[in-house]
Amino acid sequence: MSKSFSRRKLLAGAAIPVAAVPLARLAGVGESNAGAAPGSHIAHDHDHDHARMGHAAMIGREVPAPGGPNDLDALLEPPPALPHQPGRVREYRLVAEDQEIEVAQGVTYPAWTYNGTIPGPVLRATEDDILRVHFTNHGSHPHTIHFHGIHPANMDGVFEVVPPGGSFTYEFEAAPYGMQLYHCHATPLKKHIEKGLYGALIIDPPKPRAPARELVMVMNGYDTDGDGKNNFYTVNGLAFYYAKYPIRVKRGELVRIYLVNMTELDLINSLHLHGNFFRYYPTGSSNRYEYTDTVMLCQGQRGIIELEFPNPGRFMFHAHQSEFAELGWMGFFEVEE
Amino acid sequence: MTAPTTGESSQRHRGWQLWALLPILLLVGTVSLFATSGGSIVDLLGQNPPPTDLLDIRRVTFKPGEIRIRVTNPQRDAITIGSVTVDDAIVPYAVDGSKTLDRLRSTTIVVPYDWVVDDPISVGVTSSTGIEVTKALPAAIETPGADGASVLGYAIIGFLVGVLPILLGLIWLPAMRGADRRWLAAFMALTAGLLTFLALDALSEAFALQATLPGQLGGTGLVLLGVAASYLALTFVSQRLGRRDKTGGGVLRGAALATLVAIGIGLHNLGEGLAIGSSFALGALALGSFFIIGFMVHNVTEGLGIAAPIADGGRIGLGRLIGLALIAGLPTIAGAWIGGFLASDLLGVLFFAIAAGAAIQVVVEVGRYVARRAPGGLRSGWVGGGFLAGVAVMYLTGLLIA
Repeated sequence: MSKSFSRRKLLAGAAIPVAAVPLARLAGVGESNAGAAPGSHIAHDHDHDHARMGHAAMIGREVPAPGGPNDLDALLEPPPALPHQPGRVREYRLVAEDQEIEVAQGVTYPAWTYNGTIPGPVLRATEDDILRVHFTNHGSHPHTIHFHGIHPANMDGVFEVVPPGGSFTYEFEAAPYGMQLYHCHATPLKKHIEKGLYGALIIDPPKPRAPARELVMVMNGYDTDGDGKNNFYTVNGLAFYYAKYPIRVKRGELVRIYLVNMTELDLINSLHLHGNFFRYYPTGSSNRYEYTDTVMLCQGQRGIIELEFPNPGRFMFHAHQSEFAELGWMGFFEVEE
Repeated sequence: MTAPTTGESSQRHRGWQLWALLPILLLVGTVSLFATSGGSIVDLLGQNPPPTDLLDIRRVTFKPGEIRIRVTNPQRDAITIGSVTVDDAIVPYAVDGSKTLDRLRSTTIVVPYDWVVDDPISVGVTSSTGIEVTKALPAAIETPGADGASVLGYAIIGFLVGVLPILLGLIWLPAMRGADRRWLAAFMALTAGLLTFLALDALSEAFALQATLPGQLGGTGLVLLGVAASYLALTFVSQRLGRRDKTGGGVLRGAALATLVAIGIGLHNLGEGLAIGSSFALGALALGSFFIIGFMVHNVTEGLGIAAPIADGGRIGLGRLIGLALIAGLPTIAGAWIGGFLASDLLGVLFFAIAAGAAIQVVVEVGRYVARRAPGGLRSGWVGGGFLAGVAVMYLTGLLIA
């Protein structure tokens, strides 16, 4: 409150209804207040242009989202699955680097990244592949890569901390199949994750999954002012990106979404899809699924969503914590014939 | 003999001016040397901390379907507006001109928004570097615009709480004329007491408000400037009034002293009107009937304060009396207009500081008068009792508003 008016404790006067004072009406305040019926009221004249108000209308060019039309393609669309071939080596190079990223329109965040993006690149292997990840730390702090899955203790990315300028090669058999993830496990853990060091790791089952339009969604948040509270929430790193550039899918085709929650500072995150239901496979490591339109995940929790869109048109998806949705975690599917 | 002396004196005079320039020239030289050194001196100590990039939200106003947020850059480095939130939700917005604000520059952010009448609401502005500042408003209420109705409304409220009670207080005049000199001294001391109360009140308002200003605007210095300027200005005014009134022997009395008291009270009421107007405009105040009545009772005492010196100073015309009431009361209306339509904390600090300085000067003037005229001078029990009564009356009637 910038207005203090201590002597006269004016706020106390609020107990008296303005309507009781004919004076107030003379003062021109009566119209907006005294004439109002009890309850809450929307103050607007209906002539006013409401098209741009509220997140339901955050569509198209008006949407405050950073980035260009195809900027997130590499993070949204995973590399193709390869057939089962035990012992085959899958090599990836990850470089930790400090990077300024425009995470929401007009707001730049000094992030820590794998390969310059948040989330880092999508890694993919088939079960029983040898996953070999060459890691170089070009960042200003010590980092590691900690993979979820089954692997030896010395490949866990907890004890072998890589100093700035150092490197390390992680090598292990990819297992088990499902939606996995990787993230930095250097301390302080909260800081290293919140700054952006994480990404998706897909391990395909020996028996290939049905062909589908495959998408990766990494849910996250950014605490840009360091007050321990996220200022922005996104999927794949940029606030409102898919509201500005909807994800195009075909009507009736099988859509598979690899979903993971890497949101720091908040206990949970969620995904809700409009106008449809989907099959949700927790972790994607078994055939057990839930038929729903909303899933809730804690940090590190992930799964695979499979669905078909029976109807064409534009369908919203967003965190069903309205606050997250309105701080950037909202987008659209554009279902085409 | 005289000629060389004059020559030497004028030479000394010229030398004085040259010497006065020297420190300034040296300062310019040193400053430019330091400036060209870049950051190398600071580097000896470590690194400068980064700018905080916290914008200052000065004022939030509500129109149908629209919220306007006035922001100022309080720091040395420029700040660019990144995103804007209302109740923790990102909203589309527009600014008039550049989103980048240089030091102490302001702009207004316009947000199309369906706000809910009477609900608490918060707005946030995030800099391009991700630093968010939020401001919580106790209630969203349409901000009155400067149309005929609201101009009239503020004028009537100002009249009711400012002018009318003072007029009523002046009606005590005939009764006071009948009182003996000890009672008159008590009434004058009461005037001093209530003015002291007003001075302290204005001073604390000024300090409280300056604390909310961006540091660069130099809050406490600004308060001192306002207090000193108005004290000196009123000293000048009292001298002029005293010169006109030859009978007082250098001490203001009668109508002249009453005029000074009225000016002091008027300057205080300017600040009071400003606070009423801006608090109402910002939705921080409800103008209830109890509030108005409380203010009227409170300010009746101000009329008493003006009447007291007149009671001891001979006849006065009705027109002059009403004139005094207007000097003391009308500023309430002006203040309410200024506060309601262009409320600025900076003006508020200045107004309250001016009010404090004026009230202090008038207390001094009244004190000199009482010291000379009262039976027993300042040490008389009547004077002490009157002073305490003045403070107590202001405090107790002030409770009516609380």
